[in-house]
Amino acid sequence: MPTWDDRQPIYRQLADRLAGALLDGDPLEGDPMPSVRSLAAQYMLNPLTVGRALQALTDDGLLDSRRGLGLFVRAGARDKLRALERQRFLEQEWPQLRQKLRRLGLQMDELQWEQA
Amino acid sequence: MNNADNTLIRAEGLSLHYGKKLALDRLNFSIPKGRVVGLLGHNGAGKTSLMKAMVGLHDHEGQLSVLGFEPQRDRVKLLREVTYIPDVAILPRWARVEQLIELMSGLHPKFSAERARTLLKRTSVKLTDKVKALSKGMVVQTHLALIAAVDAKLMILDEPTLGLDVLSRKAFYEMLIDEWCDGERSVLISTHQVEEIEGLLSDVMMLNEGKLVLNIPLDQIDDRFVALKHDPQAAEAIAAAHPILRYRQQGESAALFDGAPPAHVASLGQRMRPSLVDLFVALTRAPEINPQR
Repeated sequence: MPTWDDRQPIYRQLADRLAGALLDGDPLEGDPMPSVRSLAAQYMLNPLTVGRALQALTDDGLLDSRRGLGLFVRAGARDKLRALERQRFLEQEWPQLRQKLRRLGLQMDELQWEQA
Repeated sequence: MNNADNTLIRAEGLSLHYGKKLALDRLNFSIPKGRVVGLLGHNGAGKTSLMKAMVGLHDHEGQLSVLGFEPQRDRVKLLREVTYIPDVAILPRWARVEQLIELMSGLHPKFSAERARTLLKRTSVKLTDKVKALSKGMVVQTHLALIAAVDAKLMILDEPTLGLDVLSRKAFYEMLIDEWCDGERSVLISTHQVEEIEGLLSDVMMLNEGKLVLNIPLDQIDDRFVALKHDPQAAEAIAAAHPILRYRQQGESAALFDGAPPAHVASLGQRMRPSLVDLFVALTRAPEINPQR
C-alpha cells in the first residue's frame, strides 16, 4: 500500500507525487487528469484529500478545470513545473547540499557529471 | 458543517449497558453526509456496541438519531437506508453467489441485482461460485458487493478486513472508495489497522473504555496536535511541558502535544505530522499507564 511520511500533510505529498508524474509526461499536456475517484482508489486516499491535492496543483497553474469535463493538464505545465522545481531546489535543497559539499571539502572538478 | 440537513447520525448523552456494566458512557457526536469515519479503539472499548445501537440491535439511554430514525423503534424503515456488516458476518456456505443475489433481491427493496453483478465483475468471484469455494478475501468482497448494491445513505462496517491478507484488504478498500464514496453517502468503519486506513478517512472517532476520547476531522489533527522530533538532550525540557505521549520515531526521540507547546519548547524540536497511530497510543492506553495529567 502507498506510504506517506510524517513531514508534510498527505494531500501535499500526493500533490508532489502527481507533479512528479506530470514532469515525466503522465498525463501529457492537454490530456485529462484521472478522476478523483480513480486516484482515491489507486492511492487509497479519501476523495476529499485527493480533491485538495488536485486543487493545490490547480492553484499552481498546472491544471485547468473544464466545465463538465473535469481537470486537464495545462499547456506549458511541464515548463512551469520544471521552473517551480528548479526554484525549490535552489532555495531549499541546494543550501543543504552546498553545506555538505563544503563539509566534505569536495570541489567542482571532483564531481562526476557524466553518467557512469 | 453540522446543520440538520447534512447530519446522518446524531448522538447526545448516548450510553449503553450490558447488565450493570457500562459499555458506552454519555457519547455526544454527529456524523454528516459524505464522510468516511474511522471508529478506533481497543477490543472492548465499545466499538461494536456503538454500531449495534446504531442499527437498533441494542437498547440505549440518551438520544440517538440515525437518518432521523430512532433505531430500535424504526428498525425496519432504518434498515432500508443503512447497510451493516457485523463483525460476525457470515454468508451461507452452501449458496452460490447468484443465489445470494436472488435472495437479496427478495429481501431488500433498495437492492439492485444488476449493480451487484457489476460490482462483482471487479473481483475474481464468479456468479456460479459456491461460497464455500471462495477464499476469505473473496467472501468479504462478495459481501461488500452485495451491500454496496443497496441504494443506502450509510454503511456501517465492523472490522470488515479482519483476518484478510494485504492484497485482499487493498481490493476491499478500493471497491469501497470507488463504488461507495460519492460525497453524499457516509461510511462508519471500525478497524485495528490504523496505519492502513489513515489516508482513507475524513474523520476519526476514538473510543477508550466506553468514552469518546477523540472525534475530529483528519485535516484538523495538524492544527490541534503537535508532534516534535527532538534531540535526546532536550528530553527533560520536553517532558516538563507535559506531552501526551513520548515515543521514538525512526530511532529519534519524539513527543506529542495536545495543543501547541510553549514557544521555548517548540523550538527544541522539529515539527512533524502527528500520525493517527501515535494519537491512538496516546489517547487509548490503559488508565494505569496513562495517568491523567
